[in-house]
Amino acid sequence: MILSGYEALFFWIFGLAAIFAGLLTVMARNAVHSALFLISSLVSVAALFVLARAEFIAGVQILVYVGGVMVLFLFVIMLVNVGAEERGREEIFNNQRQVTASLVFCLLLVGGVLYAVNRGYSGLQTLHPNPASQDQLHATSATGSSQITKDTERVGGSLYRYASLPFEIASVLLLVAIIGSVMLARTLRQEASADDVAPEVLQEELARDPLLAQLEPKSE
Amino acid sequence: MQKYIWLVPLLPLIGAAINGLLGRKLRFSETLIGGIAVGSVALSFLISVAAVYSYGFGGHAEWPKPYLTSQDGFSFNWIPGGAVRVNQGSEARIQVELQKNLEERLAAMTPEERSQTKGIIVGASDSPRSALLNIEWSYQLDPLSSIFMLIVTGVGLCIFVFATGYMHGEAGFYRFFAYMGLFMFAMLVLVMGSNFVMIFVGWEGVGLCSYLLIGYYFDRQEAANASRKAFITNRIGDFGFALAIFGVIATFGSAQYTDVFNQAKAYPIELLGQWGILSWIALGLFVGACGKSAQLPLHVWLPDAMAGPTPVSALIHAATMVTAGLYMVTRTNVIFQHSQTMLLVVALIGAATAIFAATIGITQNDIKKVLAYSTVSQLGFMFMACGVGAFVIGIFHVMTHAFFKALMFLGAGSVIHGMHHEQDMRRMGGLKRYMPYTYWTFMAGWLAICGIIPFSGFWSKDEILWNAASTTHIPLGWIVWAIGTIAATCTAFYMTRLMAMTFWGTERFLEAPAGGEADEAHAAAYDKGLTQHDALRPSAGDRPRHEPGEHVGPVHEDVEDHLATHGHGGHAHGAHRPHESPPSMWVPLAVLAVLAVIGGFVGIGPAFRTVTRSEHPGGRLNIVTWLNPVIWNPSTREFNAAEGAHEAVVETEHAAPPTEGAEAGASVYGHTGFNLAHSVEAATHSELATEWIFIVISLVVAGIGMLLGGLFYVWRPQLAAIWAQRLRPLYAASYNKYWVDEFYGWAVTRRTMDVARAVYAFDSRIVDGIVNGLAGLSRLFSRIVGGVDKYFVDGIVNTVAAFIMRLMSPLFRAAQTGFTQNYALVMVLGLMAAVVIFFARDIF
Amino acid sequence: MLNFTLAFLLQQVEDDRFAQMRHAAANPDLSKFLVIGALLFIIGVAGVLTRRNIIVIFMSIELILNAANLNFIAFSRYLRETGSANALAGQIFTVFIIVVAAAEAAIGLGIVIALYRNKETIWVDEIDLLKW
Repeated sequence: MILSGYEALFFWIFGLAAIFAGLLTVMARNAVHSALFLISSLVSVAALFVLARAEFIAGVQILVYVGGVMVLFLFVIMLVNVGAEERGREEIFNNQRQVTASLVFCLLLVGGVLYAVNRGYSGLQTLHPNPASQDQLHATSATGSSQITKDTERVGGSLYRYASLPFEIASVLLLVAIIGSVMLARTLRQEASADDVAPEVLQEELARDPLLAQLEPKSE
Repeated sequence: MQKYIWLVPLLPLIGAAINGLLGRKLRFSETLIGGIAVGSVALSFLISVAAVYSYGFGGHAEWPKPYLTSQDGFSFNWIPGGAVRVNQGSEARIQVELQKNLEERLAAMTPEERSQTKGIIVGASDSPRSALLNIEWSYQLDPLSSIFMLIVTGVGLCIFVFATGYMHGEAGFYRFFAYMGLFMFAMLVLVMGSNFVMIFVGWEGVGLCSYLLIGYYFDRQEAANASRKAFITNRIGDFGFALAIFGVIATFGSAQYTDVFNQAKAYPIELLGQWGILSWIALGLFVGACGKSAQLPLHVWLPDAMAGPTPVSALIHAATMVTAGLYMVTRTNVIFQHSQTMLLVVALIGAATAIFAATIGITQNDIKKVLAYSTVSQLGFMFMACGVGAFVIGIFHVMTHAFFKALMFLGAGSVIHGMHHEQDMRRMGGLKRYMPYTYWTFMAGWLAICGIIPFSGFWSKDEILWNAASTTHIPLGWIVWAIGTIAATCTAFYMTRLMAMTFWGTERFLEAPAGGEADEAHAAAYDKGLTQHDALRPSAGDRPRHEPGEHVGPVHEDVEDHLATHGHGGHAHGAHRPHESPPSMWVPLAVLAVLAVIGGFVGIGPAFRTVTRSEHPGGRLNIVTWLNPVIWNPSTREFNAAEGAHEAVVETEHAAPPTEGAEAGASVYGHTGFNLAHSVEAATHSELATEWIFIVISLVVAGIGMLLGGLFYVWRPQLAAIWAQRLRPLYAASYNKYWVDEFYGWAVTRRTMDVARAVYAFDSRIVDGIVNGLAGLSRLFSRIVGGVDKYFVDGIVNTVAAFIMRLMSPLFRAAQTGFTQNYALVMVLGLMAAVVIFFARDIF
Repeated sequence: MLNFTLAFLLQQVEDDRFAQMRHAAANPDLSKFLVIGALLFIIGVAGVLTRRNIIVIFMSIELILNAANLNFIAFSRYLRETGSANALAGQIFTVFIIVVAAAEAAIGLGIVIALYRNKETIWVDEIDLLKW
């Protein structure tokens, strides 16, 4: 799968962008900046997906990951982070020892990964010396050179036929996640109103069980 | 009709079951309970009568062959025993087989050959035999069981009717009749059973019912003691009986009467001094009979059994249960007649019992105890009869005794009832004016038991004494006769005494109050607020609940006078005159009195053959004719043939010409020594005269006894006390029943308890000591091990653990920083390590 | 960190394998994809281990997942071109990884909110309840 020409160019642009954005995500001081850098990293990766002829996945990435998960992140940052940062500028990195150890290990990881990729790739090359170029695989349409593949169709077919069980399980997983997150983020008052507990009873319960009060948000 | 005899035991059982199970729950009235009980027994009686009639006198009469219900299909395969080894009595069996082989050989030879042979050798195998034992539940109707069926159901019916009146007002009315019905069932099974196991079932059943009925007043100590005594003494006899049954099965391979007796009749007779298997069996049987029929030395329970209600005493201890021993001895007369030693034992024990009990009876003051000892004595007479070989006469005496003894017991019950449960004859007297029915019926019984002609007792008792004097079965027949005659005298004496003290003379109850509550002890207890059963001095007899203070005594002018005399406080009093009993009580008395008068005519003896023109008049109605087929004849070695052959029986009894003493005693049983009858006959040269001499002697002694009784208790009452004083030691011995109970208590009871105590001490000290010692050892061991574990092992563990902990704990604690990212770092490290390991082969 | 990375890249440029690298750069193939993925992964790991802010840690985790996705997709493309029948498995895997990431983000952020309500802080080094 040798990319060439414009594809190579875009590959490098987006690849480096992704790495750069990732780096900045980790190193940004402000959490919102971190979120935004992450978004750009994700978008770059989506572009890389397109270059790898996985258009559907790219679309899913943008829609779900960026449009759903990152927005959620931003919401939570707004909920949680703002108050914390109002208390003043504090350290964003951990203590010295932790950071040093982490960096050491990450460098080791880098070396290991690069070495492994190179070694592995030479092995791959002996296995498949002549991978078909992308041009040969795609039938040209009547209008000329069309590079849009039938992958989406095939992915959908596979998903609903051969991977239908994981698909269903995934939907159940999402259901569980929904319920779990609702449960986790409840306040005491919400719990009480759901159970139809009267306010006086609520006060009694609070008085009797001090731990219950911790479910109350201290700051509104 | 014979095929319905299986109903005869079943109906009383059903009646008993209904009364017992439902009587209290559904609260039956007394009429209903009594009706069920009396009705069931009456039905049984009717069926028995019809069956016996059709068996003996009907169109297809089967008499004299025994009728088994298995012939008509009623035979229940009760205990399919399987193969049993028949290994007893092999010597006798070999002899029988040798004899049989010899006879066969002789029969096969022609007369010439027979005259020419000098000797024959025959052989017999002594290989172990085995038989297929199958014990079935089927009934047998034969001459012997038919008589007993009629006695049990007939006399039982009278007593049941009496009991409905006597037990009136009892809270346990239903229980009484339930037990009585159960008793009837057991007794009927006993007499109608077709094998030894059934008779044993009935034997045990009547023992049980005796226990239940004697202890009917279960809250009274003496009744409970008496019932236990009866049962245990019975049990001792049952042990012997059971051993005998085992012997029968091991010798003959079967328990059915027909099988056993057909085999036994061929066995050789064991004369005096020889003791073989049949003697052992007979010994066991007789031990059982001693227990059940209260012979020496197992007689002690019968007088105490008077603590039960009077109908119980009448039925069980006069007419039926105690005669079961007689039934059994007569049933197995084949076996007894094969053992001369046992016949002698039976006769001597019977005679000893007769005189023993008779001498005790003359000093007793409780009316029921007198009758009880009289029963024991008369049972001795019956066994005397069996011992000398006159089994038929023994059964005849059973029959007549049932009539007059039941009559007298019921009469005594009537007296007791009328006297408000007073049983001490010293407080009675002159009752003939107050209770005429009772008096006249009792008189019939009195004359019967004394042996006055033509009452029933005369016929049977006279025949017993005659057979004792003239027996050729055993030696010492004349001793048996002498003892029997003396006992008859005593019988007449004490029965006359009873009549005098109870019915004649002055009314002693007018001077001192009599009756259940008249005891000073009772009165004192009552005043203290205790119940009548808490009285300090136990009073005799059955005493159901009744009005406190009820008694008979002097009639008072008014209430104040009464209270002043008696001082019992203000409670109610009963009547003060003895009263006649209701018809439910005196009608059975009348029926039994009629039987006591005419019942002896079925056994008119051969002495009267000049009048009746027959040795045994009456054909099949004559008891000797009727019963003879059941008796085995040692001379012919077969059971007696019926009817025409009874002449031969009589002749064989007096077979030898009575001219020489040497031949006089010769018979199958060898020379039996001095024979009184033959000596008299040798003197008079006339058989008839001999017999009449003995009859006259027995009548004379009876008359002497009655006259003495009249003298001591009617005409010169002070003589009784004077002679009691003069013969003080004899009087004391008699009054205290020869101290037999005390002796048993010392020798048997207390020694048994000593053994029990010794065994208990052994068990608790030695055996338990060992066990406890072992347990103690275990505990000690465990303490040691525990100590080692606790101090040594745990010490090591604790030290080592503490050391390690002090060493390592700060190290491990440092790892728990609580800082999540530290954990994440460690995870990454682990991941790296995993990757390296995973790809180690490729990397290196 | 940024300096370090740049220095590293520059090092590569100044290295001897200039022509190789230029050719390789002009015609990127599977290995380049994998390298990018790996780098993203490592950056994510570094972020998880070093940052104090919980939310940023979560975002680093997202980076890690993303890197894995890239890996899958690259192999999917490669395998299709080498003719394996299971080529699409990579894309399908990716779908599920995205699903899982979404669910995990939701739950995780719910936990963060609950934690914040309790402890009033988002700095992980202040949340050391499990400390001995």
